[in-house]
Order: sequence, then structure tokens, then C-alpha cells
Amino acid sequence: MEQKSEEPSSSSNENKKEEDSARFECNICLDTAKDAVVSMCGHLFCWPCLSQWLETRPERQLCPVCKSAIDSSKVVPIYGRGGDSTDPRKKIPPRPKGQRTEAPPQSFPGFQWGGGDGVGGGNVHFSFGIGIFPLSFVASWFNTPIAGFGANFGGGNENQQQQQNQPGTSAAPGSHQYQEEEYLANIFKYIGIFMLIWLLFV
Amino acid sequence: MSDASRRRLLKELNQLQTESPPGIIIDKNSPDSDLKQWRIGVVGAKGTLYEGEVFTLQFTFGSQYPFSSPEVMFVGDTIPAHPHIYSNGHICLSILADDWTPALSVQSVCLSILSMLSSAREKKHPMDDAIYVRTCSKNPSKTRWWFHDDKV
Repeated sequence: MEQKSEEPSSSSNENKKEEDSARFECNICLDTAKDAVVSMCGHLFCWPCLSQWLETRPERQLCPVCKSAIDSSKVVPIYGRGGDSTDPRKKIPPRPKGQRTEAPPQSFPGFQWGGGDGVGGGNVHFSFGIGIFPLSFVASWFNTPIAGFGANFGGGNENQQQQQNQPGTSAAPGSHQYQEEEYLANIFKYIGIFMLIWLLFV
Repeated sequence: MSDASRRRLLKELNQLQTESPPGIIIDKNSPDSDLKQWRIGVVGAKGTLYEGEVFTLQFTFGSQYPFSSPEVMFVGDTIPAHPHIYSNGHICLSILADDWTPALSVQSVCLSILSMLSSAREKKHPMDDAIYVRTCSKNPSKTRWWFHDDKV
């Protein structure tokens, strides 16, 4: 508190300062928030206070003020200017870090053209997915990690189809089901090749 | 009593003594020096069944305060007859048990209890009063409350 000015004004100053600091008081300890974090619902706490509260009731993590759901990974730390001379991570438990989302990277132009939202773009995207389909089909059947690769490549449409067509249990080689599946896979392969050729020449 | 609990209780006491809301009476030298137990008077609000009646609430704070709820009950000669207040002073109020959060305070608990009194439509103890009073623990926070009525 400053004590430069005369009596009456200094007391009003004090009142004002108290009011100012009240806006940045932790909702739990009622002190000015230290290692401050703010919840997604906008309520301010000291990180040690909030983490103690979350530990007290791990099965029901609610904001103490408004009772909305709260998550320690989703609170935002507040860094004032010049404060925080000590590293908060040395304290236990560490204060969560600020979240920084990278801007979306510039994607490969060919993919952008294929994956557009327009009607024409969607069409191209779809045929591409079919072309890749037999690969993921066969791969998932042999239970190799390539299955994930195939699914990622094809995009949303193809993912759904894979789920529908994927056999629940892989058939034994040589059995009737195996032959049927192989036949089916071949058909898809030919359709895929046909589509690719059609794409290139039409 | 931990240091943090003590600091927070001192802050609450200071605030209540400087500006206590209407209906809440706090004695200047009410809490003992270790702040563990407080007694606070509540006055029934105007226009309600308890208008002008004064009751005494006893707060007992554990070392985990404000992370655990205080133990709150009516004490003294007059216990209000209310559908959620047992004749031994125990109060059936969710914020004193499961719904407690550290953002609540002595003041907010007093106001909740006053509001509970104000919304009563008849002065009578809960239906299971006789059984509860005979079987309950001394400490109301040991009771497993079952909150079913949110009208009063």
C-alpha cells in the first residue's frame, strides 16, 4: 500500500486497491491468485488450490464456482508481466502449460484438389478411395499394420466402407469363404484400376 | 488447523464482521482463537414463517477446509421446526455434503439456510425425525444424506 498522500485520500486509495485486487482473487483461498490459472468457464484460481480441489474429488471434477465440468488439462495459465520469478514446474503438482495450436500446414496441392468440398471434388475423392480400397481390405485381413495406412489414405468415405465390408473373423486359407473374399478383392482391384485409367484418360 | 485454512477463515471472518448481510449476526468475539468453531445467529426473514425468530448455527471447520465442507448444525434452545431440519439441529442440505465446493463460504451457507427457512410452508420436523435423532451420529457430516426434495 502506498502511503505518500495524505490521510483521507490514502484510505480511499487503499479501498480502491482492495477492490482492484478482489477481482484477481482465487475463488478458493480468497487471496490474490498465485500461479494463476483460469478454467474454460472463466473462473480464476491458484493452481495449487485448484489441483488440491481436483484431487479431493477425482471422480467428480467440477468448477467450484459454477459446477461446470473442469479438467486440469484444459485450464489456461495466466502469465502477468514480470511476475513468476520462480519456475512453477518446480512446485508440485506442476501447473499445466499453455496450449498452442499450430496453424494448419499447407497441404500437397494434388490432395487439395482431390479432397475439396465441392461436388466435383467429392467425386474425384471418392474414386480415389475405391482405387486404394482393395489394399486396405487385403491388409486388414492379414492383420498387418498396413491396414491403418490404407484407411488413412482413402479418407472418410472409404473408412465407412471398410468397416462394413471387413469380415469379423478372417477366413482360413483354402476355405470357401477365403476364395469368395479373394474373388471380391480382385473385383475391387479391377474396378480401382479401371477408375484410375478412366481418371487419366477421360 | 492448517495455515491455509486459517488464512481463509480469517478473511471470511473479517468480511463478515465488516459487512454482514441482513439476517446474519456475528459476535465480535465469537470464534475462539483457533477459529475452529464459530457460532452465528440467523434471523428469520420478514414475511416468512420464522419472521423475527433468532436461531444459532454452529460451524465446525476441519483442517481440510475449504476443501471439505464445514460441519453445520443448529444449536441452543430453539431449533427451527422445518421439514429439512431435525430436532437435534442437524440440517439436510446438499451443499453441506455432496454439493460442497471450496468457492462456498460461511456467508453463502448462512444465506442458503436462511433461504431454506424462508421457503418453508409449514413448521414441522422431517417425517423420520424420531428415528433419525435416535440413530444418528453426533456429527451430521457422518450421515449419508439422501436429497430428494428441492422445493423447500
